[in-house]
Amino acid sequence: MITADKKYEYYFTAEDAEEVRTNDSDGQGTSGLKTALIRFLSAFICVKIILLLIVCSPPALAAERITAPQRIISLSPATTEILFSLGLGDRVVGVTSFCDHPPEAKKKAKIGGMSNPSLEAIVGLKPDIVVMTTDGNPREVDDRLRGMSLKTYVWTARTLAELPRGIRELAGVMGVKENGEKLAREMEEGIEKFRSQKTGAGSQKKVVYIVWPEPLLVAGPGSAIHDAMALLGLENIAANASSSYPRYSIEELIRSSPDVLIIGKGAGMDIRTVAQGVLKKLATVPAVKNGKVCYVSDHLYRLAPRIIQGIEELAACVR
Amino acid sequence: MRPVRMIIFIGVVVGIVLLALFAGPRMVNPFSLTTMDREILYSIRMPRVVVAMLMGMALGASGAILQGVLRNPLADPYILGISSGASLCAALGLLSGFYYFGSMSVPLTAFIGAALVSMLVGAFGWKRGGLWPERLLLAGIGLNFLFSAVLMLLMSVSSDEGLRRAVLWMFGDLSMADWSLIPTAAIFIVIGMGLVLSRSRALNAMILGDEFAHSLGFAVQRERLILFGAMALMTSASVSLGGTIGFIGLLMPHIVRFLLGADSRLLVPASAVAGGAFLCFADLVGRSLMPPMELPSGTVTAVFGAPYFLYLLRRKDVLSI
Repeated sequence: MITADKKYEYYFTAEDAEEVRTNDSDGQGTSGLKTALIRFLSAFICVKIILLLIVCSPPALAAERITAPQRIISLSPATTEILFSLGLGDRVVGVTSFCDHPPEAKKKAKIGGMSNPSLEAIVGLKPDIVVMTTDGNPREVDDRLRGMSLKTYVWTARTLAELPRGIRELAGVMGVKENGEKLAREMEEGIEKFRSQKTGAGSQKKVVYIVWPEPLLVAGPGSAIHDAMALLGLENIAANASSSYPRYSIEELIRSSPDVLIIGKGAGMDIRTVAQGVLKKLATVPAVKNGKVCYVSDHLYRLAPRIIQGIEELAACVR
Repeated sequence: MRPVRMIIFIGVVVGIVLLALFAGPRMVNPFSLTTMDREILYSIRMPRVVVAMLMGMALGASGAILQGVLRNPLADPYILGISSGASLCAALGLLSGFYYFGSMSVPLTAFIGAALVSMLVGAFGWKRGGLWPERLLLAGIGLNFLFSAVLMLLMSVSSDEGLRRAVLWMFGDLSMADWSLIPTAAIFIVIGMGLVLSRSRALNAMILGDEFAHSLGFAVQRERLILFGAMALMTSASVSLGGTIGFIGLLMPHIVRFLLGADSRLLVPASAVAGGAFLCFADLVGRSLMPPMELPSGTVTAVFGAPYFLYLLRRKDVLSI
């Protein structure tokens, strides 16, 4: 939390804006006429500003508009999706080569991968702010960027429950508080809807989410998928693993006899073909025996707004 | 021949195989098998043990051959670039969308890659109507660097998650071992093994030097080519079974020489069996150390193999061929 708070140092507050204004109206002339003219003009401008403020928007927003970052670089696919959902697509000038959603994101300039972004490419895009994440970007990149006096914002939310807070915070930094509030509320409502459905479902089904069949990688605790399962009242059989995407023992998977098998969408290859081998091995597991094998999209892989659709898919699988 | 050591050796191998079948984070009691136990035993553990044995045997025997043929105690089937070539070919196959054979595609492309690289190394090592050890070794090292570099390049420019995960497979993974690949790979390995065993007297002579072997009546260049071919066949089959498992090819011949002597007639089969048992053991450790997670066997072999290798190194004169 300390690091997250520290990030706020760079962006303007209402106080800063006030200071700027007082400096402007402080112009001291030598001749009386000149001073009077300036006084008159500044008073006129002041009145106009006040009028504008009253007519157009609340004062805080006006201050934000002056200082809101216009050129944004996103160093993770999840934050790219969130920025686009906040209506900031036009202001995003650079993304990673993994940022493939929404489709417009693919057209943005690429600054390299998540773990190895090119500092040169980032600096070359002259960003007002670089959005990073604690989940995938190395700390050194943040240090280097700030060493070159670039502003960074570090996204820290890692669980489904933290997502709305993260969205509000990011929206605040980007000067689109209202959009942020709207999106965060949508998320909260979506999450709440599924939580209330869960109490109706009753029986705890055992599920496993296969991220990749060979070698067997499943979704473990710490992943958004695990959170989604918990939200729906499902028991993740890999809950005892020690990482978010563990290489899981197939023997252990058979022993825990999951009721539903969920297979995520793979990039590049047809996951159904890749999964043939593992399904053959799991033939005696209840999920496979009863035809409860469910292929889903990649909505749950990123902690981003479309996770709600992902939860919907997951709920449909176990219904 | 050292009969007591021989008996201990066989006992240890059998013990490891039994442990690999029935022990682990969850024990399987062979005397009261539940349906699930039987299923796990038959479709998970048995293919794993068989694949581990086959791979270990191929690598152990290949190491013994190569150390003899190249007359170099450092030789290992992977030093010739066979594994990196196989990985590169599998990665290229995946990138170009080669997935017509389902889960067999990666092993198939890996085998093709390994076979091609073996031929390439052979071609570079060929001069004046024969294979020359130094040329083979240098060509192999050069190609190894080239292929590893290209593979790294592919990995760093590609954002294809599938490719990354498929390449994970190349770092020695037995967890997905399956009956389907075993018969084909076993045929290659048996052929290779047969070739070596029929040539082990020539191998013995060649270790002493080409002139010496020649004076004993062996056609050195022909024998060398056959042995090299047998090694390439076995290593390629092993790579396609479970990817790259380091250290077995290097380590096993040295251990066997230390325990049972350097006669190739015994060294090659014993290195093979020891390699198989060692890989079974590594796989057992890999799945037992941090359950329910699995560690790739390739890393386990190195972690356990390297210290023993260094211990052997401390003993004088052991690391000659």
